[in-house]
Amino acid sequence: MEISGFHRIRGKMEKNTGMEKTKTVGYNVLSLFGFLFVWTFVSWLMQSPFFPSPWLVFKAFIDLLIEGDIEDVKLGMHVVQSLLRIFGGFGAACLLGIPLGLLMGLYPRVYDSTKAIIEPVRFIPPVAWIPLVIVLLIGFSRFVFVIWLGAFFPIFIGTLLSVRGVNPLHVDVPKSFGASRMYIVRKIIIPSVLPDIFTSMRVGLGIAWECIMAAEMIGGERVGIGIMILKYAQLIRMEVIIVGIVIIGLIGFCLNEIFILVEKRVFRWKEIVSI
Amino acid sequence: MERDSFNLGEDMKKELVDVAASKSFNSMSILEDIKFKLHENEFLVIVGPSGCGKTTMANLLAGLLKPTSGHITMNGEEVDPKVHNISIVFQEPSCIPWRTLWDDITMGLQIKGADKKTIEKRGKEVIKLVGLDGFEKYFPKQISGGMKQRVAIARAYATDPDFLIMDEPFGHLDAQTRYLMQIEIMRIWEKEKKTVVFITNNIEEAVYLATRIIVFSKLPARIKGEYEINLPRPRDLTSLEFLKARAEITEQCEVVG
Amino acid sequence: MVSAHTDRIKSVGFNVLSLAVFVFLWALIARWQASPFFASPQQIASGFVQMVTEGDSEGIGLGLHLWKSIIRVFSGFGAACVLGIPGGLFLGLFPWVYNRTRIIIEPVRFISPIAWIPVAIVLLVGFIRYVFVIWVASFFPIFITTLWSVRQVNPININVAKVAGASRLFIIRKIVIPSILPSIAGGMRVSLGISWMCIVAAEMIGGEMVGIGRLILKSAMVARMDLVVVGMLTIGVLGFCLNEVFIRVEKRLFRWRSAVSIG
Repeated sequence: MEISGFHRIRGKMEKNTGMEKTKTVGYNVLSLFGFLFVWTFVSWLMQSPFFPSPWLVFKAFIDLLIEGDIEDVKLGMHVVQSLLRIFGGFGAACLLGIPLGLLMGLYPRVYDSTKAIIEPVRFIPPVAWIPLVIVLLIGFSRFVFVIWLGAFFPIFIGTLLSVRGVNPLHVDVPKSFGASRMYIVRKIIIPSVLPDIFTSMRVGLGIAWECIMAAEMIGGERVGIGIMILKYAQLIRMEVIIVGIVIIGLIGFCLNEIFILVEKRVFRWKEIVSI
Repeated sequence: MERDSFNLGEDMKKELVDVAASKSFNSMSILEDIKFKLHENEFLVIVGPSGCGKTTMANLLAGLLKPTSGHITMNGEEVDPKVHNISIVFQEPSCIPWRTLWDDITMGLQIKGADKKTIEKRGKEVIKLVGLDGFEKYFPKQISGGMKQRVAIARAYATDPDFLIMDEPFGHLDAQTRYLMQIEIMRIWEKEKKTVVFITNNIEEAVYLATRIIVFSKLPARIKGEYEINLPRPRDLTSLEFLKARAEITEQCEVVG
Repeated sequence: MVSAHTDRIKSVGFNVLSLAVFVFLWALIARWQASPFFASPQQIASGFVQMVTEGDSEGIGLGLHLWKSIIRVFSGFGAACVLGIPGGLFLGLFPWVYNRTRIIIEPVRFISPIAWIPVAIVLLVGFIRYVFVIWVASFFPIFITTLWSVRQVNPININVAKVAGASRLFIIRKIVIPSILPSIAGGMRVSLGISWMCIVAAEMIGGEMVGIGRLILKSAMVARMDLVVVGMLTIGVLGFCLNEVFIRVEKRLFRWRSAVSIG
């Protein structure tokens, strides 16, 4: 229907943004399939036990899920064990790291004086602690300790830095009204540092996830994703290894995404700077 | 110069704050022997070049800093935020990011222990005063710079302070918003007469707003001059008297030392 | 200013003091515990001397272990830089490629490099094993950081050059690259830290004879806890020094930047 008095001289009509998103998702799916296709093709070319096809990997995945591995430990059990260990250690790291970080942040003198002890210890990779831990501790506590080591420092340092990052203006406002120190800590400092603490928790969780793998591989337990992968490495069953690797990647990704989602909801007021 | 439209008369003479202080940081002298008195209901503007210690003066008046020597007293006591009711509007937008505008504006009242009814009533009054009604549930990240400063002003007025300090509150706003805010400040001041100490480096702004102007020198800051402005409000930026006042103060500021 | 100087001296003094207190307490606990599993500071010190002069039970000295580990780390790290930086640059300059292939990149990014160790054990032997693991470990931080930093280039700077009529290549060479170098350096530092962590794990799992990780594990197996701690401390100190060197270099090269350094 022609509308008189209205005539577009130039410019295409922009499709609405819904289309753009669908296009991106579509392309992503396409590249995924492309990738799988290339993989299948290459593995067919190579015909080597070292290069299983996607189909074999999938079969192995189902097998592990339903029947379990050579020792009849099901995939689910492996995952649950690994996760339990992580949350034990991670929880301990938060419980110690956050209060200590807050304390050292509010009283920087203490931190400055004890840096000589903290810094070198901080740089010892948690993995290096593993043999020590193997000798000194048994079972579940082994893992909790190693993971605690891994997660503690990012959380501690992150919390400490976040206290320093509090905008002094936000402290001056209640101060000018005569607010007590308690009020300022409760109502200004804590809400200020919460987002950064969350971020460092997310980082700590990521590191914890890495440590658990190493700890399980060196440690010598029976159950756990790391162990599972190692078991099959010794049997040169690549498909299972790949299943393991993919699961590790997926879990790590999901944990990270959950954290980000929570952050977005709880901290709606924050101007988002995403990495 | 014509008489002002409202008769300040005897009120002008009532002394509220007595300032006679110096301030230095780590042996670097910022304010040297600053002496003046703040009178009730006056709009005192402190003018000086950038970085001459005006913000330090503001913080001293608010009791956030203590003078190195001398005193700043109100009713005989050193100004202390826990004892006195003083409000300050900072140069940078100082909205607390995780609080809604309503929570932010009523923060002073909350800290000072006002009861719920007073907070409700006063909060509503003050939001209307600065023209932000309807925006109570907004977060600072959703509003403009000018609006953020209006929040700070509302927050400062909410506690019904003995006197208000405004430290270059329009410095970070664009020129147009700045003009609008100057008019707003005058409107607000006419409605709720308060004692105001206003700090700026903009002489035109000073002449537009002030009943009295004190001129600070460069670092270390000393009082270079003092002026009384009695022009009728709202002031005409192009009137002869306005331009004369502005020219004289500008000349004094530009004199070296 | 005088007071800043005295503050520093005080802080250093306190540090030394707390370190001394810490070592003292440790020695005390070691004596009280009297267990072979708890090495006292003196044992550790003598263990260190032994490692440097004689070597461990197989006669391999601390220096050799350290050297092997360092070579492995830097080879893998170098390889990761060679691939990661150009790769990140490319995908950063052509974001539509990145957006369309994210589904492959993102999950892989999250796979812990340690998970790749068994793969490396199966598929490769010897030196290459470690280079591969370290490469996997360092690739992603460098790659992602480079990519992200290209996006963060201030468009104003680019426009300045564009208005002056600069070619695309000029803009890349003279504007984009200097802008992103600080971020890349930061990413390199982070991945060096990660690599360092992974080499230890890889050596422990891997089954070589020489390497810091192997040293620690070996010593633990024979309950020579003093050597274990020597190994741990060596790694810690080395990691710390590498980090500090990197930070110093960053500070000098990028003096123009308002510094934000995080650990």
